Amino acid sequence: MPEFTHRRVVITGLGAVSSLGIGADAFSNGIRAARSGVSPITSFDAAGFPYTNAGEVKDFEPSAVLERIRPERWGRSSLLAAAAARLAVQDSGLDPGELSRSAAGSVMGTTSGESTVVQQLTEQWVAHGLQGLDPALIAQAPASRIANAVNHELQLTGDAQTIPTACSASNYALGYAYDLVRTGEADYMLAGGAESVNRYTHAGFYRLGALAESTCQPFDVDRAGIITAEGGVSLLLEPLEYAVQRGARIYAEVLGYAVNCDAAHMVHPDPTSIANCIRQAHRNAGIEPDQVDYICAHGTGTPTNDATEVRAVREVFGDRLPPISSIKSMIGHTMGAASGFGALVCCKALEGDFLPPTANVQTVDPALGPGLDCVPGQARPARLDVVQNHGFAFGGNNAITILGRLT
Amino acid sequence: MPKTHTRGTVEPLAITGAGVVSAAGLGLAALGDAIAGKPLADSPPADPQPGDYPAGPMMPVPPVDFTEHLGRKGLRHLDRTTKLGLLACKLALDGTGEQTSDPATGVVMGTSTGSIRSTAEFCRDTLVHDRPYLVDAGSFPNTVMNCCAGQIAIRYGLHGVNATLAGGQLSSLLALRYARNALVGRQSPRLLVGGVEELGPQSAWAWHLAGDLAPEAGLGEGCAVFAVSGPQETDPDGGAAAPAGDGRPTAPALAWLLACEVAYLGGEVHRGRQAEGLAGVIERAMGRSGVHPEEVDLVSMGAGGRRGLRRIEERAVTAALGRVPERLLRAGEAIGECYSAAGSLQLAALLGDWQARPESAGRVGLVTAVGSDGNAGCVVVRAPAPVG
Repeated sequence: MPEFTHRRVVITGLGAVSSLGIGADAFSNGIRAARSGVSPITSFDAAGFPYTNAGEVKDFEPSAVLERIRPERWGRSSLLAAAAARLAVQDSGLDPGELSRSAAGSVMGTTSGESTVVQQLTEQWVAHGLQGLDPALIAQAPASRIANAVNHELQLTGDAQTIPTACSASNYALGYAYDLVRTGEADYMLAGGAESVNRYTHAGFYRLGALAESTCQPFDVDRAGIITAEGGVSLLLEPLEYAVQRGARIYAEVLGYAVNCDAAHMVHPDPTSIANCIRQAHRNAGIEPDQVDYICAHGTGTPTNDATEVRAVREVFGDRLPPISSIKSMIGHTMGAASGFGALVCCKALEGDFLPPTANVQTVDPALGPGLDCVPGQARPARLDVVQNHGFAFGGNNAITILGRLT
Repeated sequence: MPKTHTRGTVEPLAITGAGVVSAAGLGLAALGDAIAGKPLADSPPADPQPGDYPAGPMMPVPPVDFTEHLGRKGLRHLDRTTKLGLLACKLALDGTGEQTSDPATGVVMGTSTGSIRSTAEFCRDTLVHDRPYLVDAGSFPNTVMNCCAGQIAIRYGLHGVNATLAGGQLSSLLALRYARNALVGRQSPRLLVGGVEELGPQSAWAWHLAGDLAPEAGLGEGCAVFAVSGPQETDPDGGAAAPAGDGRPTAPALAWLLACEVAYLGGEVHRGRQAEGLAGVIERAMGRSGVHPEEVDLVSMGAGGRRGLRRIEERAVTAALGRVPERLLRAGEAIGECYSAAGSLQLAALLGDWQARPESAGRVGLVTAVGSDGNAGCVVVRAPAPVG
């Protein structure tokens, strides 16, 4: 039986297009300062909605970042993805020509793909009938364009893989990209996710009763739900050996990951299944629970998610819970990009020795039990060695990644 | 910096079940008959009326009583994409001869947009009602693209890897590639892997207006799903998937899944050179499968109805094999263009052909695909060795 080559895989480049700013530093500085990226919706006419806040990226000018993509030919999610990937490569110091000549590709997660394109097409349907759809917009509609955009912008010839596993999709992407590099299928991979704020996602979450009026308050006794949000995020993965050879800055090593499925309900998470996913991620990463220094929570701020997530964590960690915080308290729920932003913050926390905060916590929900440190209000200095990043989704798609300081 | 790493030979994985839903009806044999020239039943699209579709040949799945196959419970909110996926998975699981499904089994489904109809109709509701939020909450999960895979897991109790892969025309091949990684990496002992596409008025008009298809090309729909076992359940010498000591019956392999290679050829380096690019992908796939071009006598082609791409694919296959292959299958001509599901239905066509031809034992087939977005790929499969 042929042997698989297993290489150590590290993260050497970070890119973010977020409501807190463009670039990994702008984003993570915003998180570290507990700033809010939530504001009144302007990307669609929110009149008629009872709740009108979202985590929109207001100052994204695609042509300021993108070098090859012609913005008018691509949907918003693709542009967010390609820009984040371009920024990640810039951050890595890797020569873009070397990258494009290598076995390299992208894996990008999303929930609703090119949702603003679909929204525009639907408006045309309502106004003019299906025969009135604009062919140029039709070409922009497939969700698979998101990874294509990354490959196109960076002239990559390897896998162009979009993974639409909803709100855990970026962790799926990171895990798959890690495998492709680890096993030698690829030498460099861009992994991450992209999402666009749109009318129908906002309506759907409102109708489910899962939307907060104006503020996302994970772990708070008065938490009311999510804030819909958007962004693009990308991480550059390469073998440790290459990173060392080229003297790259290494943010983190990808230690392992796991994915599984609740197979129980489309929208209600299952704590036992999540606990199983955590345990499997620990086994795959070769760590024990007591090595985990921080959990970047899925932490949507709905009553159900946070209770389920903390229960699952307790099943695995017992009474010794690592600090667990939610960046969604600041940027809202970026859906398919959410666990990518989580992974990026984990890298920055490892690099900068801090615990990312949970904003907007007035009173930690006592029903979540004792000993819950959600890093309320502000970031704290801390040396972290192993961090755990959560992503859960509709469809019961759980995905957990484990990152570690390079040793 | 020189890159010394070379990608090695892949482990064969056993395909032990196939579930097929297409314009030809249910099963491999019906698909094979259609490719052999048997006329399709003259079915109109299920719903809404044919008048809501553009002119041109529509090749829907013939009317199926989903409740007969799936039971009445829980179907009310499900869209057609999900029901096609559920049905194909049921047929694939039935084909493995097992009474109950193993909860460690996972699902890997290719779909490029999910149900575009579900999403568009849900989005439309935000525009046409008195208030934009007066949507049906029960239909909201249908708008996320992993709905089908999630529902399959729920119905059949499958807690393993559950992934949805989008890649346009390559979606099914990308699902097979993802599944290979998950199985060889021991993430699940077995996966249901395939691709799904639904024919609806929104997607039909989109195809019509985009002008990508040759005028005579029909629009199809369907789903093919394969039960694929990981190395720990695979006995490459015996030509069958061995039971993992749990008393499950041994399911004979329908075929061996070898390499699945893909590339993005949409960039400047491949402008005007996509045929060479695809040929390189096919050569790499054969090489990583340990297969010589002369062992390949059957190629299941993907780009039949797509303007410009058909010639690229033909040139690439001829270049990679060093000859025009003895036999070509064009599933799309028989059952219509099936986009995300195309690759899985091409593989089903190939398996169906082998089942009808015992002389194919031990032979090698290719499934090739190239999309107008520049994604391209090739899957290599080997027919089981001759019995005895």
